[in-house]
Formats: sequence, structure tokens, C-alpha cells
Amino acid sequence: MKIKEITKIFNDVSVKIESNNRIILKAPKDQILNILSFFKNKGFEHLSLISCVDWIKEKEFEIVYILTTYTEENTHIILKTRISRKKAQIISITNLFENAEPYEREIHELFGITFEGNKRLTPLFLEREYKIPPFRKDFDTRKYVKEFFGSIPPVPPVKEKKK
Amino acid sequence: MNKKRELELIFGPQHLGMVGNFSIKLNVEGDKILKAESVPGYLHRGFEKLMEYRSWIQNFPMVCRINVIEPDSMEMVYAMAVEKLAGIEVPQKANYIRMIVLELARLSSHLFGCWAYANMLGFDTVAQWAMYHRDLILDLFEELTGARVYHIYILPGGVRRDFPKGFKNKILNTLHSIGGHIPDYDATFFNNKLFYKRAKGIGKISLEDAKKMGATGQILRALGMKYDIRKIEPYAFYNKIDFEVPTRTDGDAYSRVWVIRDEMIQSVHIIMQCLEMMQEKGEVWNRLPNPFKWRIPAGETYVRVESSRGELGLYLVSNGKDKPYRVHFRTPSYPHGLVILEKLLKNANIADVGNIMISLYVVAPEIDR
Repeated sequence: MKIKEITKIFNDVSVKIESNNRIILKAPKDQILNILSFFKNKGFEHLSLISCVDWIKEKEFEIVYILTTYTEENTHIILKTRISRKKAQIISITNLFENAEPYEREIHELFGITFEGNKRLTPLFLEREYKIPPFRKDFDTRKYVKEFFGSIPPVPPVKEKKK
Repeated sequence: MNKKRELELIFGPQHLGMVGNFSIKLNVEGDKILKAESVPGYLHRGFEKLMEYRSWIQNFPMVCRINVIEPDSMEMVYAMAVEKLAGIEVPQKANYIRMIVLELARLSSHLFGCWAYANMLGFDTVAQWAMYHRDLILDLFEELTGARVYHIYILPGGVRRDFPKGFKNKILNTLHSIGGHIPDYDATFFNNKLFYKRAKGIGKISLEDAKKMGATGQILRALGMKYDIRKIEPYAFYNKIDFEVPTRTDGDAYSRVWVIRDEMIQSVHIIMQCLEMMQEKGEVWNRLPNPFKWRIPAGETYVRVESSRGELGLYLVSNGKDKPYRVHFRTPSYPHGLVILEKLLKNANIADVGNIMISLYVVAPEIDR
């Protein structure tokens, strides 16, 4: 597949092809569904991973979709899109890929991003509620542990009985 | 009595049919499961977040704890990602050693899987054999790395130390003693009629569904697809090695366990070839400056290896500092345990829950991370 082919079909998409069979796409968030279904029809039907990176300095979240094939071809497609930290919302892709559901649940829980259309954004891993979703960069794990668990008084030493 | 009685049943983590800290919420009517819901989270330690606080080399003891049963592929995928970002090269001999270690780990993991499956079906003898043979491999690891379970052996740029004297022969002896028992395993377990009757047709999935739900590893291979990252995207020297990808066609629990058995034999073949091709002398670690001061160039990468359970990937982002910016593991058990398990358990019997779950080869710490 060539860069021109992809940029012809989709506007506002920047494409980079790396030497080791890797295509990196950057697209605005409203184009994702179109791009993913386009590549799914081209044979990239295996959704390997949905990941999220918190770029706190740029005040943005980056959602990363990684597609591979089920054939002998070893090309990866890495699709990235950025959303603002204040309005963390993006469309769900569970209709395209069934295994997207737990990934979206995880990102919803750990980063606080809402996926519109995912009906099952229930808690997955965490036990208690957090003010800031714990995988965001402004959540300080060490400080939280100190405040939360440090307030529990230590077990007093056992007194020896006097004989 | 026409009234329907629907019950909610929590299966695991304290259940004899359950392997690992994982539970399933079942809605049952009589013996039939109407709805199943996976409940992970018992082992969530937030490793991916904790790794952002530690330097590149300090993360190795955490990486290997993500998969308790087969830690080496975890180390391998992390080391590969760091090498790719930093452009570190690996000496030839180290690549062979890595492959031997990875295949030994795959063997021990598959033997553990055999233990779990045989134990669940009530084949206690076979289970004990498998555990004993796994222990022999752990002995090898102990001599090579100093640790039995978490080895922290594969590092960026090679491996931690060379083979000790006479270690090749020890590997061969162990493999011979395990290989000598294959006829026993076959006679008592794999060709046993009871195993056939319990596993045939259980947990059947179609190729279309498996693809839709992101299956990899044994689930695909039990459906006749030769999908193996070692063949598609060879890492280390897997392209120089002659091995086959065993497949079956039925896609049920019976085929999946048979694929595991055939894979063990292929692993032994790979180790034999590696031992033959590996040269005696040579560096095993590309001498790098002080690992505690590494700064990895900014960038991101996605690498994948074939772990004993399927495609294991790692999405790693660096911003040029001495710590990773974001680490995200794509573990094979994640789609298997959270998507496929729920689907397969629908309309199954309660007695088959353990059977289906263990045949999917789900390992809980991999899901939670």
C-alpha cells in the first residue's frame, strides 16, 4: 500500500511508513471509524491493542490503535488520534472489533476517557474510587500511597509478659 | 413446576476448578449457564504505572512478574522494545541462548498447563508427572540464572551470563528424560478415552468468531490456522531454525490440548538445533555503559513475540528520559479471558466451566497486570 493511496481517500491524515513494515497514521478523532473499517476490509482484521498515552504538557490524550493481519504479512498499522484532556470523549469501535470492549473499559477506568457507544463501561480492575483516574500523569502513586495507607496506624509491638 | 429459577453463582477465585486469581459471575438455571461475566482485578498491581517511576533497567524485576508461569517471554519482549528504540545490537551467541531459554520456558509453561488440565479432569498421575518434569526444567534455570521462577536473565543487548561448564549436556539429559516419558503421557492421558469423552466438542469456537474476538495462539492453531509470530515476524534467529507449527482442525478443548502437546515436541526440536548451531566462544552481552544511566531516545514502538499462550505485544513510549513514558502490554490472555471465555460459557454446563477455562489457557496475572 502506498502513502498516496491512503492520503487520497482520507483528508487530514498524515502517513509515515517505517522500514520495518510499519505504517503510522495520525488522524483526527472523527475519522477513526472510517479508517479502521477501511483497513479491516483490506485484510487488517486483527485488533492487537488499544492503548492510551497521557501527554500532559500538550494537554492531550493520545489513543493508539494497532492493527495486524491474520495472514503471513507482517505489516502493523498504528493509528493515533489526539483528544483534549478537558473533553475526554471518543467514539467506541466495539461494532467493528468485538475485542475492543475490554480495552475501552480499561482505558475508561484508568484514564477516565468516555467511549461513546460502548454499553459496558463498568469497572474492570479497581477496587475503590479515585478522584483522578490513576494512570493519568498528574496522579502521583507514591503520594497517594502515603496519604491513603500511611494513615493506618502501625501494629503495636507485642509486650512481653512479666514473669 | 414451570417456574424458572435463575441463580447467580460466583465461580472462583476460591474454587477447586479455578486456576489462578480470577473469577466468573455466572447466571445459571439448573445446570445451564445463561450468562457469564469475567471478573478480573484480584491481581491488579498497576505495574504499567509503577514502571513509569523506575529506570529502564530497574523495570526488569517487575516485567517478569506479569506472567507468573512464563516470565521469560515478558523479559524478551521488553528487552526487544528497548533494543529497538535505542538501536542496541545483540551478539550472535546471546540470540541462541535467548531462544533456548524461551523454548525451555515454553516447555515448562506447557507442562504446567498439562498439570492444570489433567488435574482438573482427575488424571492425578499425569498431573504429578507434568509437575515433576517442569521441576527438572526449573532446576536448569536455577543453575543458569540463580532463580527458579523469575529469572531476570534476558537484558537489552544480550543475556546476563554465559552457560556454565557442562550445561549443554545437562539440557540434553533433561530433555531426554522428559522425552522418554512421552509414550507414557500419550498412553495415560492424550490417547485416553476418558480424556476424549470429556474434552471432545467442549468449548467449540468457529474460525470466524475467533478472528473477530482477537484470538491468537492455540485457539487459532486448533482451528487449522498456522498463525505463529515466530514464523510471521521472526525475532532472534527463529528464521534460521527448521520447525513446524502444529495444527488441528476442530477448534474444541480436545484439539487445543493436543496442539499444546505437539508444541512441546517442536520446542525440544528447536532447543536441539540451537544447541548444535551455537558456537562455544563469544560474547553474550554487548558491553553497554552503566545501565543505571541509560537514556533511551524518544520514540515509540510496538514489538511482539509468540509466548506460550499467543501473541504477546508491548507498546512502549519513550520521551528521551531515563524512565519509560508509557508501557502497555498486549497479553494473549486478555482477549481470551475477557471476551472469548464469556462467549464460550454461554449455554454450557456448570461442570464444563473449568474445562473450558483451562483449555483456553488463561493465566490471570496477565490479564490484570
